[in-house]
Amino acid sequence: MNEYIVEAEDLVKIYRMGKVEVRALNGVSIKVKKGEFISVMGPSGSGKSTLLHQLGLLDTPTSGQIVIDGINVSRLSERKKGEFRLKELGYVFQEYAILPELTAMENVYLPLMMLGVGRDKCRRKALGILEQVGIGELADHLPRELSGGEQQRVAIARALVNNPKILFADEPTANLDSVTSKRIIDLFKALNQELGQTIVMVTHEQELGRMADRIVHLRDGEVV
Amino acid sequence: MFERLKVSSFLAYKSIVQGNKSTILLTVLIISLAFVNMVFTSSLFGGLTETSNNQVIDTVCGDIVIVPREDEKWIEGVSNIQKKIDAIPGVVGSSARYRCGVTISYEDESGGWEIYSIDPIREMLVTNIHEKVVEGEYLTRSDKDEIVIGKEISGTHGAVFEQESLKGVKVGEKVSVVFPNGVKKEYRVKGIFDSTFITADRRAFITQKEMESVLGIDDRASDIIVRIDEVDKGEEEKYITQFKELGIGEEIRSWKSYTGIIESMVKSFDIINKMVGGIGLLVAAITIFIVIYVNVINKRKQMGILRAVGIKEDVIIGSLVMQAIFFAICGSIIGLVFFFLAVAPYFVAHPLHFPMGDVTLLISYHAIIINLASLITASLIAGFIPSWMSVRENILDAIWVR
Repeated sequence: MNEYIVEAEDLVKIYRMGKVEVRALNGVSIKVKKGEFISVMGPSGSGKSTLLHQLGLLDTPTSGQIVIDGINVSRLSERKKGEFRLKELGYVFQEYAILPELTAMENVYLPLMMLGVGRDKCRRKALGILEQVGIGELADHLPRELSGGEQQRVAIARALVNNPKILFADEPTANLDSVTSKRIIDLFKALNQELGQTIVMVTHEQELGRMADRIVHLRDGEVV
Repeated sequence: MFERLKVSSFLAYKSIVQGNKSTILLTVLIISLAFVNMVFTSSLFGGLTETSNNQVIDTVCGDIVIVPREDEKWIEGVSNIQKKIDAIPGVVGSSARYRCGVTISYEDESGGWEIYSIDPIREMLVTNIHEKVVEGEYLTRSDKDEIVIGKEISGTHGAVFEQESLKGVKVGEKVSVVFPNGVKKEYRVKGIFDSTFITADRRAFITQKEMESVLGIDDRASDIIVRIDEVDKGEEEKYITQFKELGIGEEIRSWKSYTGIIESMVKSFDIINKMVGGIGLLVAAITIFIVIYVNVINKRKQMGILRAVGIKEDVIIGSLVMQAIFFAICGSIIGLVFFFLAVAPYFVAHPLHFPMGDVTLLISYHAIIINLASLITASLIAGFIPSWMSVRENILDAIWVR
């Protein structure tokens, strides 16, 4: 049985800005084991977010191949990629990115609704995950009634609600103070250790990055 | 499919319930006013058209008009023709009139008008002038030396062309009439009528026998007007065919083709109605488009996130289109309530005065349904376009708002 859940080979991503070509990824190969917690680090412009977007199927590499859990996702149509993201992947973004009109619980169970899960089951599962990330008592609050850290926990709960094979986090603590940031990374660590959740996290903060099992350093679009 | 609809309606519901109440209220208000405008315009022009048509039929020419052949000045053998017509089932009555231009004088005032000779009993079956007498009485068959005139001739009862009238002649007073053959005769004004239709109110009537004695004519008419049963309205051509089959060789026309001016006026009303209605619809559609577009711009990032976490594009479009339809339905309902409780009762109590008569709103449920369907279709399109534009955007561009 393959121990790697992500196998990316020779990823190249070139952005064209008029006549100028920017090589954001220059032949990156990376493997992630099941249950591993990886930090992708590097200076600004090194291509770490670009790599996360390719691995998370939010963007398509110019060349190279990505295999997730034995499926060559590079060949999937945009529609299939959407389905794959919904069923198999979870995302946490830099800015909490939760819908302001929905309560914490509703934000969390939205992906489940999309998968056709019944309302009661949606609520039960969402509440369970909100409790898991430590904000169960805030389930019926609207985002505007929550602090930045609490909103990010809602986003994490939403990312986890469909039991994703991989959780992608793009600078999840960039907008948080140091104490809240530490709590969020502790939460990731706990999810990884207690539930075996595979996590790929981009961060530029050394102290937080070091809390992962492994750090992948990028510079000028290459793994160093 | 059902799951997607469920998620779309859930997102739409939440967006409306938790959205900015003032924006929602203002949007619904604008749409309701646009809807009232659409319904009001079509009802007003409907009222104008109906009033014009009814006035022409009721006061001027009945449902069908028989006029002389192209090379003839009069219809001869009138009684024989009327016998044939009156025998047809569905014909309520027919009235033969002889018309000529006369000069009518009263004190120092005089003017040229058309005078009609009628058999009052037969005329009553076709027109309703006898119901419009506002002073004095209508003619009877035996009346001699008596005349009934419209208010535009008498210059009383709020005549529009008072300056061109006899400026105040009253019932019981005498007027002098000069006929085309030079005969000058005095008539007692027996009645003054006000049909509110200027064309009719500029006419004078004397009895058939009186005209025959003055002009020395017999069994001759300028036209024969025919009234058909209410249930056969719109089927004038069927009767015209029957008339022709009975050997009536005169020219026979329905009231529509006889009154070319009214017909072209009605066509113009229809064009104006469509233009005003179309502009109203466009205003409503643009309002919805702007509201949804602003919504989309404000939520660009959230929509990118939704797509990133796997919420399908059609679900996002569906939610925005549902919001647009909600605005349209709410606006229409409020508009309808306002229209039926305020606008319509006001215009029933205070009809508008037009040269063709007093006009109130003609509320057509068919037109309301068409306006409603148009508004909902327009809002569907206005909601779809910005949401479709937004989901075509690259997910990362939407998330990073670049």
